[in-house]
Amino acid sequence: MDPIISLNLIDYLILAAYVVITIVVGYALKKYMKTSEDFFLSGRSLPSWITSLAFLSANLGALEVIGMVANSAKYGILTVHFYWIGAIPAMVFLGIFMMPFYYNTRVRSVPEYLKLRYNEATRGLNAFSFAIMTLLMSGISMYAMALIFRMMLGWSLTSSILLSAGVVLIYVFFGGLSSSIYNEVIQFFLIWLGLLPVVYVGLKAVGGFSGLAAKLPDTFLHAWKNMGSAAANPMGVNWMGVVLGLGFVLSFGYWTTDFLVVQRTLASENINAARRTPIMAAFPKMLVPLIVVVPGLIAVAVLPEYSVALHGSATPDYNSTLILLLARYLPNGVLGLAITGLLASFMSGMAGNVTAFNTVWTYDIYGTYIKKNMPDEHYLMMGKLATIFGVLFSIGTAYIVQSFPNLMDYMQLIFSFFNAPLFATFLLGMFWKKATPWGGFFGLLSGIVAAAVHYLLYKLNVIHYSSEMAANFFQAWWAWLTDFVVTIVVSFFTRKKAESELKGLVYSLTPRTKGSEMFWRRPEIWGSIALIVMVILNIIFW
Amino acid sequence: MAEKKSSSHFFDLKIPLGSLLSFYGLLLLLYGLFGPRHIYEKSLGLNVNLIWGVVILLTGGLFLGFAYFRRVNSN
Repeated sequence: MDPIISLNLIDYLILAAYVVITIVVGYALKKYMKTSEDFFLSGRSLPSWITSLAFLSANLGALEVIGMVANSAKYGILTVHFYWIGAIPAMVFLGIFMMPFYYNTRVRSVPEYLKLRYNEATRGLNAFSFAIMTLLMSGISMYAMALIFRMMLGWSLTSSILLSAGVVLIYVFFGGLSSSIYNEVIQFFLIWLGLLPVVYVGLKAVGGFSGLAAKLPDTFLHAWKNMGSAAANPMGVNWMGVVLGLGFVLSFGYWTTDFLVVQRTLASENINAARRTPIMAAFPKMLVPLIVVVPGLIAVAVLPEYSVALHGSATPDYNSTLILLLARYLPNGVLGLAITGLLASFMSGMAGNVTAFNTVWTYDIYGTYIKKNMPDEHYLMMGKLATIFGVLFSIGTAYIVQSFPNLMDYMQLIFSFFNAPLFATFLLGMFWKKATPWGGFFGLLSGIVAAAVHYLLYKLNVIHYSSEMAANFFQAWWAWLTDFVVTIVVSFFTRKKAESELKGLVYSLTPRTKGSEMFWRRPEIWGSIALIVMVILNIIFW
Repeated sequence: MAEKKSSSHFFDLKIPLGSLLSFYGLLLLLYGLFGPRHIYEKSLGLNVNLIWGVVILLTGGLFLGFAYFRRVNSN
């Protein structure tokens, strides 16, 4: 098969300049890596504009971009739910309510909070599952990305994998989390600058927004109007599934407890910067649909293979939607920039996984179960070794998945088992002082089991949903509810922690510090503005 | 646990970011001016490289400008 896109010298120059600058930045950071906190948490010294952009970009990986363009070619404007209701409330909640517990307790990772609030077992369950899943996912996304680069540019799988893994290894090894974060900020600009031209030219080709709307069916143009019943919209989910499953459980579970994103907030220079991080990230987050949803809609309007799919007569390869558009509208030059944006977001996604892994591995697994109380230099060195090991393990996974492509779906699924219920454990932990250590552990464990059981029942056709996505949303909801209920029930029968041990970890036992900052810098103000803007956007696209 | 005060002990990211963007902007601008014309049939006759090159160059310049003024102010 011929590659869809052919690059020339200028495109390769753009790509090469990106690779060079990331390595230079990583190498330049090397001299700042003196303690383990420098390496794993950027010495808690970064300003909030940097951490916010990194917070946002850590999630804006290339697969996410390609997948969301695919979703919007399939479901239309409904895809905005992943960006608005499915992210903004959780980000604001993290900044206003949860950040003080994460930042002020000086925990170095999400599992460490679970240790302080609950017990060692809860931490272990979370740390091990997170570490293993993160590496597996990093390998899987590397493989998926290599497939895309092969289709797009004709690169062999091995050369894509080795190029990206090699560059990520070099810059994370030298610069730790700071390298990862700095690259995420660079990626943020590259992905926007890379994709805006295709949005602009594409819109021009279809006659602007009004021309675009005229070419699409009504169900593609409304975010809520057709959500009354699952059958009335292309996603096959009703409003309850979206609100409870996506907006509440999945979104809060991801944005507030996934260490990959939380780690970025911990790198902030002080508590106020930490609280502003997710909230300031909410604003660009709300705009992301412009570069992912609009291209999907344009594809349906102009590419025949996608418009015939509306009538159910064909199933096009949705994952190539974005690439086909780039090939159609972008001349060499800006084309290279768009490809660089994709490569950058892929690499920084991988670096994000690797840095989250090496931190959890070093602090929560190695430093807890293998070698306790070693001098700090020992852990710094372990972090560097873990980086190498993590990258090698990811490469291994990428090759294993290559021979068993079905593994990919299973892994993603298993990951969702661990992620969905966790938010219940945190919510009760932070806001209900009576939650006991074993309540937390068994709640989390049964939430994971509930997700697995629900999945089996769905696959065995005992429970029915109108689409995979609906099954996914409701599975998250039931896993969350199980965790929530079991934690409460077990807490009534097991021993509580002394209140003195919970100081600073639970809302009612933490003295409220009054923000000394001017009102226009307060997270509460900006959080409220973000929520208002989100509501307005939802009304506009109702 | 480290309680040290670590005020901005990392270098200013605006410099490498601004340099990279300025380089891209300049490259696209020059390519738009002197490169082949027929490639713009794809983009409906629009010289995207030229236009976008200018935009990116300005963005990169803005970052470098901020970094410069910050350095001048702190000295």
